[in-house]
Amino acid sequence: MTRPRIEVSDLVVRYGDATAVDGIGFDIAPGELVTLLGPSGCGKTTTLRAVAGLETPSSGSIRLNDETVYSAPERRNVPTEKRGVSMVFQSYAIWPHMTVFENVAYGLRVRKLPQAEVRQNVQRVLDLVQMQDFSERPASKLSGGQQQRVAVARAIAFSPNVLLFDEPLSNLDAKLRAEMRVELRELQRRLDITSLYVTHDQEEALAISDRVIVMNGGKIEQIGTPEEIYNRPRSRFVADFVGSANLIQGEVRGPSSSNDTLIFEAEGGMRLEVVASSASRDGQNTVALRPSYIHLGHAAGSRNAVAGRIHRRMFHGDFIQYVVDWPAGQLIVRRPPTELFDEGSEVTISFEPVHCVLL
Amino acid sequence: MIVRGLSLRQIVMPLVVLLCGTLVLYPIGFLINESLNVGDPSVFPPEEYGLDNYWNLIDDYHILANTALVACIATVLAVLFGFLQAWILTRTNIPGRQRLERLMELPYYMTPLIGALAWGVLLGPKTGLVNQVWRSLGLPGDLFNIYSPYGIAWVMALFEGTVAFVMISAAMKSMDPSLEESSRVLGAGKLRTALRITLPLVAPGVLSATIFVFAEMLGSFAAAFVLGIPGRFYVVTTAIWQATLSFPPDYGRAAAMGLSLFGVMLITLTLARLVLRHGSYATITGKAFRPREMDVGRMRWPLLGIAWGYIIVAVILPLAALLLTSFEKFATVILPQMKFTLANYETALQMGSVGPAFVNSLTLGISVATVGVPVIGVLAWIIYRSRMPGRGAAEYVIMFPQAVPRLVFGLGLLWAWINLPIPIYGTLWLLGLAYFTVFLPLGLRTIASVVLQVDPSLEECARVCGAPWIYQMRTVTLPLLRPGMVAAWLLIFIASVRELGVSIFLMGPNSKVIAPAIVNSWLSSSSELSAAMALIQTATVFAAVALMFSLARRVTGVTQ
Repeated sequence: MTRPRIEVSDLVVRYGDATAVDGIGFDIAPGELVTLLGPSGCGKTTTLRAVAGLETPSSGSIRLNDETVYSAPERRNVPTEKRGVSMVFQSYAIWPHMTVFENVAYGLRVRKLPQAEVRQNVQRVLDLVQMQDFSERPASKLSGGQQQRVAVARAIAFSPNVLLFDEPLSNLDAKLRAEMRVELRELQRRLDITSLYVTHDQEEALAISDRVIVMNGGKIEQIGTPEEIYNRPRSRFVADFVGSANLIQGEVRGPSSSNDTLIFEAEGGMRLEVVASSASRDGQNTVALRPSYIHLGHAAGSRNAVAGRIHRRMFHGDFIQYVVDWPAGQLIVRRPPTELFDEGSEVTISFEPVHCVLL
Repeated sequence: MIVRGLSLRQIVMPLVVLLCGTLVLYPIGFLINESLNVGDPSVFPPEEYGLDNYWNLIDDYHILANTALVACIATVLAVLFGFLQAWILTRTNIPGRQRLERLMELPYYMTPLIGALAWGVLLGPKTGLVNQVWRSLGLPGDLFNIYSPYGIAWVMALFEGTVAFVMISAAMKSMDPSLEESSRVLGAGKLRTALRITLPLVAPGVLSATIFVFAEMLGSFAAAFVLGIPGRFYVVTTAIWQATLSFPPDYGRAAAMGLSLFGVMLITLTLARLVLRHGSYATITGKAFRPREMDVGRMRWPLLGIAWGYIIVAVILPLAALLLTSFEKFATVILPQMKFTLANYETALQMGSVGPAFVNSLTLGISVATVGVPVIGVLAWIIYRSRMPGRGAAEYVIMFPQAVPRLVFGLGLLWAWINLPIPIYGTLWLLGLAYFTVFLPLGLRTIASVVLQVDPSLEECARVCGAPWIYQMRTVTLPLLRPGMVAAWLLIFIASVRELGVSIFLMGPNSKVIAPAIVNSWLSSSSELSAAMALIQTATVFAAVALMFSLARRVTGVTQ
């Protein structure tokens, strides 16, 4: 069995009295793209920078390619330039005093490769990011999107084992961001390069990752595939931060008659059937329900059906968002733009127990 | 595993900080020591310690009163000039503002010494050019005697007016125009907006400029020296100088006066910083706004007159007076008496001690700048980029000479190096070392402004690409800092060529430099010769400035 390319364990990073990263650990397998997702200040960028060697942790250990690059007990801290990682910075960090070619060739020249090989490699990666026509251009004369491509080309030029991304798309406008997301994923798959990716954009994280690590307050909230994170959030924080969720307060009243679900009594007396999660525990008093999984009108197989009334309709283009009054207060529902209901009309709200996640 | 590149860094960094820190603190330590010496002043180390030197300051109350008088008048005038110019040039629509704004930098390069000489030539009693005209019109006495407290204040105000202008116009420019616009939108008129919105927003900037200028005035030397000594009018700085010349030299009294002055300046400068930090609301964002221009209608011509008037009085008139005088046998504006000659320039460049003084000053300027800039560059990087412990304290120490009056620092350096067994007193080496020490803040501030603009990830990226520290410094950091280094080189060069306060204590018979030589010539020989020397010095400074701008344009042209 191949060892993971990146192994982080019990990592703690402190700045003075503040603890930015509070004892986290995870492994990343070869060729995998794993995202650190969380709000600003959750410690995700600090974790990435610790892996790169740009921050010095307080304790824990980091192993890259089976070599310990940081270990508090062994007092070992390999400097950044000896770690064999590469990184794409949030600000791109394109050196303005060099041409595109010189920027991309930097890592190869540091490694003292022969001139011909440098030229060949730069050409290859510029082709990959479709910047082959810009190699002699001064780097200061590039648009944001072009700088982004050069930054990626520079990061992969010297064939690093591990690639780190620090919010690489956050400075691009929405449309370009969506395009680059696809391209980055393509590139990563094609080169089969182990990647750790930091973002605060949950949509981006779900779209490009093999696995997502959701962080909050310096700790890991949940690790899982994008589908697991979205469908089975393990905490209120994850349910709320990744995608959007209706959070319904109430109490579990025991198994239902069919015995494969639990009865959940919401505040206001409404009873819902919910699926018991494997990690069921006492004191669970919230059900998370994604707006996209709720039907308006009676849908087949939806074992929960409740009467409600459309309070507000907002047209978003790709979908319509309804605010629906129902016995437990108000419910957010997303429907395709073909399903039009007028404000004030009575509807039946229905959804499946499997989409009701007990927290 | 500690890697070698890191340990090299770990050796270089503390070494540089330690070296520069010592250069700054060592003379100040000596000064404190000497100020407490109540025994024989020429014996080192002191035999008796006491506070008598400080108690005796009370007897010098007239000197303190003189200093306060001059500083207050000059501050009021300078802030008035600066505020008017700043308002006219940033907020009104008078024609040719951009050119005027550039010309406003000129008084700064003129230096107080040149200003004092020029106004001495213009308004000296009896012989002053303006007073000559006054008498030739048959009017009694002199129009104005520049050898007076008011004369000294006038010259200092013209010079510091530029400083006030720069600070106040920065405050006016950094104000978001939408703050005023929203007041207008909400229904307030022009006057109400000016009083309720504009003034409160600009006030902290004006106040801190006032305090800063006042502190500078307290420590200034050249004008009081050139215009005060002939009339035996002493302020603190000139009194310090006088104390060191008396026989036996009263170093204890001078040191006590110097340290007290330093104390007052430190307090006022700290106050200026506090005012700026706590009073400035959110207007200083570092963002440059294009302020709203007020249409001043017919008032534009009088305002244009005021703006040009300042330039004429502060730059053109003094330079013209010096130019005329320097080509004359006897300084005069009475046409039939004029006799033109080149002899003054010949003397200036040939004379036994003056010619070498020019050479010495240029040599010092070039070598101090060339050696100093790389060292200060490393220092700036350590203080603003590295994570070395104690770098905040290092910054504080390095910036120290800024708050110490140049003359007082010169005294400390004199005393410190005279008592060292290293025989560099009276040589150019000592002057070079002294210049480097007092220009540390200037260089650090200039390079720091560029260091702070360079995104740290540009350097981090080099490390991630596999570059060791030295390689990263050579290929990324230093090239990015080049514009700042070039600017710092020229600023230090200019400052060295016109240095007076430190040089006057440290130059020896074989290490004369230009600024003190001009002063000596003014006090002992002729104003015509002094004018020629001052003009040569000014021309050198202007040439360096011109070079700086053309270089700066080329350097930034490449990098952008």
